[in-house]
Amino acid sequence: MIVRPRAADFRIIGLYCGKIIIGVGLLMVIPLVVSLAFGEWNAAVDFLVGIGICLVLGLLTEVFCQTTRELMWSHGLVIAGFSWILATAVGAIPHWLSGHFGSYLDAMFDIMSGYTTTGLYLLQDLDHISNGLNMWRHLLTYAGGQGIIVIALTFMIRGTAGAYKIYVGEGKDERLFPNVIQTARAIWLISLTYLVVGSATLWAVGMNLGQSPIRAFFHAVWVFMGAWSTGGFAPQSYNVLYYHSLGFEIVCAIIYIIGSFNFALHWAVWTGKKSEIRKNIEIISFFITMTIAMLITTAGLTKLGVYPDIASNFRKMFFQVSSGHTTTGFGTIYSRTFVVQWGPLAMLGITLAMAIGASACSTGGGIKGIRIGLIVKSVRQTLRRLISPESAYVVKKWHHVTTRLLDEPAVQSAMMIAIFYILTYAIGAIIGVFCGYEPVQALFDSVSAGSNTGLSCGVTSPTMPALLKIVYIVEMWAGRLEFMSLFALGGYLMALFRGR
Amino acid sequence: MLGLSLLFAVQIIGAQVPAQSGAEQKKPPVEPSVPLIPTDVNSSTLIEEAKKWNGRQVIFTGEAVGEGMVRGQKCWIHLNDDAYMWKNIEEGAKLGGYNTGHAIWVDARLAKKITFYGNYLYEGDIVKVTGTFNSVCRDHGGDMDIHADTLEIVRIGHPVKHIVNFKRAWLGLVLLGLAGVLFWVRSIARRHRV
Repeated sequence: MIVRPRAADFRIIGLYCGKIIIGVGLLMVIPLVVSLAFGEWNAAVDFLVGIGICLVLGLLTEVFCQTTRELMWSHGLVIAGFSWILATAVGAIPHWLSGHFGSYLDAMFDIMSGYTTTGLYLLQDLDHISNGLNMWRHLLTYAGGQGIIVIALTFMIRGTAGAYKIYVGEGKDERLFPNVIQTARAIWLISLTYLVVGSATLWAVGMNLGQSPIRAFFHAVWVFMGAWSTGGFAPQSYNVLYYHSLGFEIVCAIIYIIGSFNFALHWAVWTGKKSEIRKNIEIISFFITMTIAMLITTAGLTKLGVYPDIASNFRKMFFQVSSGHTTTGFGTIYSRTFVVQWGPLAMLGITLAMAIGASACSTGGGIKGIRIGLIVKSVRQTLRRLISPESAYVVKKWHHVTTRLLDEPAVQSAMMIAIFYILTYAIGAIIGVFCGYEPVQALFDSVSAGSNTGLSCGVTSPTMPALLKIVYIVEMWAGRLEFMSLFALGGYLMALFRGR
Repeated sequence: MLGLSLLFAVQIIGAQVPAQSGAEQKKPPVEPSVPLIPTDVNSSTLIEEAKKWNGRQVIFTGEAVGEGMVRGQKCWIHLNDDAYMWKNIEEGAKLGGYNTGHAIWVDARLAKKITFYGNYLYEGDIVKVTGTFNSVCRDHGGDMDIHADTLEIVRIGHPVKHIVNFKRAWLGLVLLGLAGVLFWVRSIARRHRV
């Protein structure tokens, strides 16, 4: 029997969603300050309005939804799913007011892309936007990378009773500490430390490349946020190609590769378990699949003779493949270059890299290395069982922070989520073809959206059909939350109409 | 190591595989109709027909955006020839899609002629360059660029006049005031929650 949600259920969901809306409003204070510092008065006003609307809506929701009821698992998942939609709707206010978007849907597309660390965008005339708006774009992606729920857990939600249930709903289930609030704070400690070190490095490189100290500083912070969160936003429309520097590309690649690793792995290394880097299933999986994707892409590029020498071939291929595999979405080529120069085989190599994606409980998206590792190990275990004597008991182990036995539930869960990802990619690609795009191109951008990567071969644009924009928004949302919260939200809606 | 070895093997073997089919290969080489005089061209054409334009002399005109990044005697500039080239959105231009343009590698002394680079506060100079288009530049790690020989300022840029939207500012302040009241109401509601 499906139980219809009661008023008390809505109150508890509303209470936490209200807190998250307030959190989005408070986050807008940073771009507001940047706009004021640069004398960008209209942009500052846009953020003022955004903050006002967020605070009013969030506080109103909290006033009407006060409750002392305990949070349940279903609430946590629904809050995680629903709060991302609400945060997207209110976060789009400064974007929309800036006048750089064709519709509110376009503004929401960019916000969802930011939160989910995707990096696709529909913003028009990026090279003339305010520093405040640029800060907002990158801050969104940095906040989204750690998880907006993680922010709320760190700063706004007291007590741990229900916090873990919302935390899991956001697609993160690692506990660095027994206490989930401490885990959220540890995630922030890791990210803020890297923010300081990474931004300082990029700042030094930027000044060396001929940028003024102030521009180099802001570009460094923004590019760091885009790289670390595997978001892929950049302050100029040329993306990383703007800098024309191998050194800059290397620093970016180091940041986004580190950013794509599991927070539990970071914590293990931080606390002295350096051998974890060698043994971790996700690292092994990442290097194997990365090599395969590089081989396919290189085969495609060399067959067409795109680059005149091995060095430039490797440089371009490595940056695009690693950016795709870590689901960052930085590019050092024009979007259309994928189609007009790289060709279908190289595009498929990148598509494969994007589809597999980064590590679980990281800032990245995609199927995730841990799942690919588990599935491959399970296939190998099955094959070994087939060739072993009937009496033999075949055991496989896998290592992620601790060494564990490969068991049926872990493999089933990995398979299930992988299938959902593949279905999401396929549905997006089919709708893309329906909208008139070439299959390889439709698949490329669909996988990019679903895996939260952000590379585009030209399908994503302000002029693409509204249907495809909505499909990509849903893909980004579903991919980031790893489906469970979506199903919970869908179940809740169904229970609302069909429950008793 | 195995992966790296394979990678280089693929690069070397791939480089030996002909890019075209056998029938196409047997055709006698056709003399490309490369005009000696530079041709006016836009960024979309250069990207879409990169191979055709590779190595040719082109004239490219666009708004200088971002900044000039000086590297020794040379400088990187970026010229956008998009819908916002003459008037950007901050000045009231209609939406016209993404920015498009090209990276230009030019003598630093020529780049010094540029007064304004386009951003939120400025509409950049409109700059015309003549130079060689490289679909994959050997000197710059395979980047697509134009190595410019000449640079001419077509129109000097200017600061963008932003008229402050006071109505919107008032709306923001009213909303903040309302939020203050709601903050107080929430603290009362918290004390009486069920």
